[in-house]
Amino acid sequence: MTRAIRLAAVLVSVALVVGACGAAATPTPGPTATPTGPGPTPTAGGATPTPAEPTAPPEPVTITVWDYYGTATPVQPALTGFQAEYPWITVKYEALDWDSMNEKFTVGVSVGEAPDVATLDMTWIPTLASNGVLEGLKPLSGGQLNGTPIEDHYTPGALEAMTFDSQYVTMLFDFDAYALYYRADIVAQKGIAVPKTWDEFREAARDLAEDSDGDGKPDKYLFQVWPDTFHWSQFLFQDGGSILTADNSAAAFNGPEGVEALDFYQGFLADGTGVYWGEEQGDQMAAFKDGRIGMFLNGPYVMGLLKSTDGAPEMSGQWKVALAPYSKEPGSYLGGTGLGIPVNARHKEAAWKFIEYMLRLEQELGVFTYAGAAPATKEALESSELTTPDPYFGGDAPFPVFLDTMSTATHFPYVKAWNDIDVAISDAVDGVLLGQSSSEEALDAAADEVNGLLAD
Amino acid sequence: MGRVRRYAMGYVLIAPALLAAVVFLFLPMVVSAYWSFTEFNGIRPPRWVGLDNYLDLFGNPRFLRSLQNTVFFVTFGMGIGPVLGLASALLLNRARFLQGLFRTAYFLPVMTSLTVVGTIWKMMLNEQGLLNSLLGFFALPGHRWLTDPTTALPSVVAASIWQGFGFETVVFLAALQSIPREYYDAAKVDGAAAGALLRHITLPALRPTIVFVYVIGIIGSFQVFDQVFVMTNGGPVQATRTLVFHLYDRFNSQDLGQASAVAYVLLAILATLSYVQIRLSERGA
Repeated sequence: MTRAIRLAAVLVSVALVVGACGAAATPTPGPTATPTGPGPTPTAGGATPTPAEPTAPPEPVTITVWDYYGTATPVQPALTGFQAEYPWITVKYEALDWDSMNEKFTVGVSVGEAPDVATLDMTWIPTLASNGVLEGLKPLSGGQLNGTPIEDHYTPGALEAMTFDSQYVTMLFDFDAYALYYRADIVAQKGIAVPKTWDEFREAARDLAEDSDGDGKPDKYLFQVWPDTFHWSQFLFQDGGSILTADNSAAAFNGPEGVEALDFYQGFLADGTGVYWGEEQGDQMAAFKDGRIGMFLNGPYVMGLLKSTDGAPEMSGQWKVALAPYSKEPGSYLGGTGLGIPVNARHKEAAWKFIEYMLRLEQELGVFTYAGAAPATKEALESSELTTPDPYFGGDAPFPVFLDTMSTATHFPYVKAWNDIDVAISDAVDGVLLGQSSSEEALDAAADEVNGLLAD
Repeated sequence: MGRVRRYAMGYVLIAPALLAAVVFLFLPMVVSAYWSFTEFNGIRPPRWVGLDNYLDLFGNPRFLRSLQNTVFFVTFGMGIGPVLGLASALLLNRARFLQGLFRTAYFLPVMTSLTVVGTIWKMMLNEQGLLNSLLGFFALPGHRWLTDPTTALPSVVAASIWQGFGFETVVFLAALQSIPREYYDAAKVDGAAAGALLRHITLPALRPTIVFVYVIGIIGSFQVFDQVFVMTNGGPVQATRTLVFHLYDRFNSQDLGQASAVAYVLLAILATLSYVQIRLSERGA
């Protein structure tokens, strides 16, 4: 018996360790920049007015910044300028990856080892904010961002996405909304019209797909079908549906619009013009390059991925971007990256200074120039740099397409159970795409689960 | 006095290990047990909810599915793995040449990280992977092994058996080599056939080893996580969601109370199974 208890004791601890594995993983340390001079130095080429410096030098502090952007980060290049302007603030910069950031952030905050500033995916905000993890930014900022009201810097949609319980809990740094990427060279070669409606979309997918090995099944230039909430919800929104009711009290995604949206989405697999992009498919870039994928819906950050040296720079001129085809109205999920401060950050004022600096025009433009993603502030969105024709996209300026998409995009509901709701919807979508059940059955079952989660 | 001094010295010597066990093992277990009766997100103070977390678990279809998947994993993993290990050990025990080479080859996957094993198997089983290429070579149709809910969990089981059976092989081989040859010689003199030797000498002599392999194996199998995380991430449609994956998911949703409750349900299952196994082995000894 003693032996059994001992074995069991070891087990529970191992199980707990597995659960806490995120805590055990140490973030990859990036370079730690140090102050470059004894006093404030003006920024070069700064278009935004520099905030007034305090008269007495403040106490030196070190803030920790966690960044999930990866090699194309716009955050790291800004550090030198920030520290030149705020020499009393040393930035300890740590590069993490998107995949593990959420759990590391959660663990870090739980154990009191939180960073002062972190890049946070907007889809994590509902759970983080409802658990009280994020510092309210209105009191910290006095409602001002770089000397003018926060509201002056963002579109109403962005402000809504940053708000939880009447409080700004993050500052949007880049935005994500899905448009249609398509192989312009093949589309032109086959004389296919760029689709604007769902019917045209279906027809274009049929005309684009090819059977290269003669087995009777199309295997080239397919539409990428992701089994997740992000992609399916685009069709739901386009068909006039919503995920939850207006008061976020019950599921609404299983209405006729949801069923129609899922039937339409599944149709790409049913007629063989789509490729199911599940866990085992691996790197999508390989499929872009070898021609398996000819169309996909994704956010502006993929422009940066395609053009990067790790992407498909050799495909310059072969891809273009268009507004996603829709049935009743344009629609997309609205996400992106927010800059947030955890409630137990040690240096919140210095952290806010960093966020303010990152949201100035030159840094926001860096979101586009370094990461190829879409900046979030109005000033950056209206910049001419974003509307310059891009040879990679056949001389088009693809950015305005995403701006149009953003204006009609919807953020996911800010409810505490969002993570679980997302999983329930993704499972329903996945089940239908894999032919396990009908759209109606799967969505109704998921709605029952979601209603239970919302009632808790 | 001498005895006291002798014991005191013993306690002094084990003090560092004891302290480490208390701080890193027993205290977290106690704290986690407390959390399992609370609603706790790691930030706000825990709120006592009694047995709610446990009751919620057994009404939660995702938890029940993870339990069902884990039982499938343990049943097939432990049903096939040790038998393969024993079979290969019996073969190796007869081999006079290259025994060391095969022993090392079988043991190599055991020393390989589960994450690496999972990644390799994921690459082998993907649509463009080795297995489908092999099937294509013989003009057989390929399959989406990891995205078909009916084959995803068996694929994870297969990868786990491949990774683990080398351990069982080496353990069984060591046990086989410790059985005195005289037993076999005497039985042969009495006219025992190969089957009788296996049934009446080898298997009874291996009984403690078999119990050891199953106790350790079942404990490990119930905690399956790494290969699931890497190969399927719990999908498709929960087809490979296991108990520890469910625990991880609860933890990621900042539901530390329910994550702790899952850990204690797992503890209860393993404690019960380990107790039964050990009692059975004692009864048969």
